[in-house]
Amino acid sequence: MNSKLNYAYYPGCSLHASAGEYDLSTRELFKELSIGLTEVPDWFCCGATPAHNVDELLSLSLCAKNLELAEQVEGDLAVACAACFSRLKFTQHTLEENATKRKQVEKAIDAPVKLDGKVKHLLEILARDLGLERLAAAVKKPLSGLKVACYYGCLLTRPPDVPNLDCVEAPTIMEDVLKAVGAETVAWTHRMECCGANFTLSRPGVVIQLTNAILDSAKAAGADCVMVGCPLCHGNLDIRQKEIEGVYSTSYNLPVFYITQLVGLACGLTADKLGLGALIVNPMPLLKEKQLL
Amino acid sequence: MSRIGVFICHCGENISRTVDVERVAREVGQLPGVAFSTDYKYMCSDPGQNLLKKAIQEQKLSHVVVAACSPRMHERTFRKAVEAAGLNPFLCEMANIREHCSWVHEDKEEATVKAVEIVGMMVERVKKNRVLPTITVPVTKRALVIGGGIAGIQAALDIADCGHEVILVEREPSIGGHMAQLSETFPTLDCSQCIMTPKMVDVANHPKIKLYTWSEIERVEGYIGNFQVTIKRKARSVDEDKCTGCGVCMEKCPVRKIPNKFDCNLGMRPAIYVPFPQAVPNTPVIDRENCIKFKTGKCGLCQKVCGPGAVDYEQEDILIVEAVGAIVVATGFDLYTIDEKPKGSLIKGYGEFGHGKIPDVVDGMTFERLASASGPTGGKILRPSDGKEPKQIVFIQCIGSRAREKGISYCSKVCCMYTAKHTMLYHHKVHDGQAYVFFMDARTPGKSYDEFWRRSIEEEEAVYIRGMVSRLYQKGDKIVVMGSDIAVGVQVEIEADMVVLATAIQPQKGADTLAQKLGISYDKYNFYSEAHAKLRPVECATAGIYLAGACQGPKDIPDTVSQASAAAAKVMTLFSKDKLEREPIVARVKEAGCVGCFYCKKVCPYGAVEEKEIRDRQGNLIKVVAYVNPGVCGGCGTCQATCPSKSVELDGYTDEQIVAMIESL
Repeated sequence: MNSKLNYAYYPGCSLHASAGEYDLSTRELFKELSIGLTEVPDWFCCGATPAHNVDELLSLSLCAKNLELAEQVEGDLAVACAACFSRLKFTQHTLEENATKRKQVEKAIDAPVKLDGKVKHLLEILARDLGLERLAAAVKKPLSGLKVACYYGCLLTRPPDVPNLDCVEAPTIMEDVLKAVGAETVAWTHRMECCGANFTLSRPGVVIQLTNAILDSAKAAGADCVMVGCPLCHGNLDIRQKEIEGVYSTSYNLPVFYITQLVGLACGLTADKLGLGALIVNPMPLLKEKQLL
Repeated sequence: MSRIGVFICHCGENISRTVDVERVAREVGQLPGVAFSTDYKYMCSDPGQNLLKKAIQEQKLSHVVVAACSPRMHERTFRKAVEAAGLNPFLCEMANIREHCSWVHEDKEEATVKAVEIVGMMVERVKKNRVLPTITVPVTKRALVIGGGIAGIQAALDIADCGHEVILVEREPSIGGHMAQLSETFPTLDCSQCIMTPKMVDVANHPKIKLYTWSEIERVEGYIGNFQVTIKRKARSVDEDKCTGCGVCMEKCPVRKIPNKFDCNLGMRPAIYVPFPQAVPNTPVIDRENCIKFKTGKCGLCQKVCGPGAVDYEQEDILIVEAVGAIVVATGFDLYTIDEKPKGSLIKGYGEFGHGKIPDVVDGMTFERLASASGPTGGKILRPSDGKEPKQIVFIQCIGSRAREKGISYCSKVCCMYTAKHTMLYHHKVHDGQAYVFFMDARTPGKSYDEFWRRSIEEEEAVYIRGMVSRLYQKGDKIVVMGSDIAVGVQVEIEADMVVLATAIQPQKGADTLAQKLGISYDKYNFYSEAHAKLRPVECATAGIYLAGACQGPKDIPDTVSQASAAAAKVMTLFSKDKLEREPIVARVKEAGCVGCFYCKKVCPYGAVEEKEIRDRQGNLIKVVAYVNPGVCGGCGTCQATCPSKSVELDGYTDEQIVAMIESL
């Protein structure tokens, strides 16, 4: 199978702001793997967590409109952010099941709802569309000796029957991808726990407690670093790490990478192209120690 | 000229709510051939049937159409009434204006028009019905019982006690089933072994019961009253007639470390073994996969030490055929295994609970073996990982059950009660221990059941937490249980020494394959379907086959025993007659048109099609045609749909009748 893969790309707001390095590394990695990525013209916010908490119709309509815009670009829709992925999938699922809501949404966006296009998380594209064998063949610098705690968070696989990315409570897709690029993955207990997400602003105490449990578990399992697929999880684990270490008088020093950063590293991309400088917990000493830079 | 009577039923309000029954009666009364039409609130009731009988006699009716519910519900009822009034019962047909009309429509006008059309079609069909003589077949008064758990044992004993011979087939080396594995039983806490083993001995000693253990059903042919069942007797490698059950072979066998399935793999057994000391028959079986003799050709120790010379390595599987008149299916249940399941499976599994990875997370049956006096720990509750007594134990209910997102929506019915029992057994044996139970609701609808459950809380100090568990993980030598208490609205974390999962009850593995051999229906979970959920709960839709126990749905011991005795009573009813009347709705071959292609023979699910030679007066063969044995034909019509020359037709469903029905529209 040598046909070129092409995708429409929905970066989402975070990737144009606090998670710029996720966007950068995604584009560079896909270029390196010769996977076409065309940004959906005029895309806008998916509504994320706030919209569906306040107004379901608004939340569904935002995503439905974005899905309609994505139809202009050839290929399935590639999504990097776990929250965007969740909202878009949720919208597809809800509108497929519920004709009444579908009618309301069609009125709101003044266009027929299109649900045929596939929404895919980057993990699916790497693990299934490209395939683990081809991914392994593209590796120039295997991540040998790097012990990674794969952190799924809440949204990538849940709820049952909606994202259908992998097994809901015991997924392996992140581990599969990392093993294909030569890294070692650790078995740990908190890979599906919640990091506290948006409460990072309103109830930071809760987030510090939850995120500490995650970092503690990753460290206890012998991980060198954590890998995530969600900008919000990344923020909590990376940006708040120093503060958590202070509160609990401990030291984790666990760099938190995006999927595309680690895979990109294995494919021979430089630190600049992967935006590694944007990470708060400095990954350079670890990567040098493992001779990956 | 036909004089057809049409009787429209209101079915209380079930039909009349959406169908204008009086208008239907009026309009069909105008159809050619209809001499009489009327409506009544409950046609199936005694006054309704009398109305029908009276009309047949007074109006000199030639045919009858009853427009009411599905013929599956009441065709027999009305045909009997018609027969009582002196008409051939097969001149009566039902038009289904309930399931096919009133229940599925909302608009009264449209539903009424449709009801008139449905009745009109049946009027056209019944005009061409023939008078059919009832077919009688002999009854073989022997029964087959499949499965030797408590259900099969009870059914076999009841039938045999009535003097009829019973063939009892069990897949495992011993009868006893799951009940033999249990420690004590709710709601009285009597020892399962003490009430079970005497019944097992009764089976072994009963002169009317022929017991085949280590055997499976290979093939089932025939029909009610006349089944031929092929049974595979798997090679036991030990001659049952010679073996005295002394057990020397098991003592001497050098292979000792094979996990014993009967003890949920906690205890070990040799390669030649009986699953448990009270096994019936007490004849060992050689597990050929693990036996050194079968793997390498060396050893042979058991044969050398066997006094009566019963060990026979040359034994092979044999097939035997038994003729029976009735079959009781009692294949029981299996527990949901909670490990991860293959992708695409209906059942999703509970990878997040670490079963199979964390040794001290066990299922309910494993706990039974730990609590059982005859179990691997001699009845001491010790956790599998290090043999320590667990001081904090967590029970989690509804694992798999009532979890639609995990693939099972039903309630397993017994888990609330057995978990309450487990907390009591634990409290009796570990006085300083604490039991916690995570539960959704406590379902205790049985005699003395709720009292039993309350006792576990009020007297035996179990702490019940309403809420479910999201995750279990190992932390040092503890298992962290993360759950929620929805009564208080808080997250709960318990550091437990051991966790017991009350896993869902599922049908036995291979239940679907057996159902296909028997020709009985089953649901999406592979539970066998009864003919009617309320009024025929122990019969299959396939005549002559009856259900007992958990193969039909989750059941506790009292319910299982009741159903087994009920199934036995149904078998005895069948055996009370020497001849059996059966429906004459069978296929007939029009020999003139038959070209002998025998497509019908290939597709017939009953094996009813035979080859028949047509010869002239001199005895010269003219052609070979198909012949349908009316005793075997099940009346499904597959042959009629298949026949390229349209030379075989099912009585009551001929092409002529179906065309007439379509043309009436």
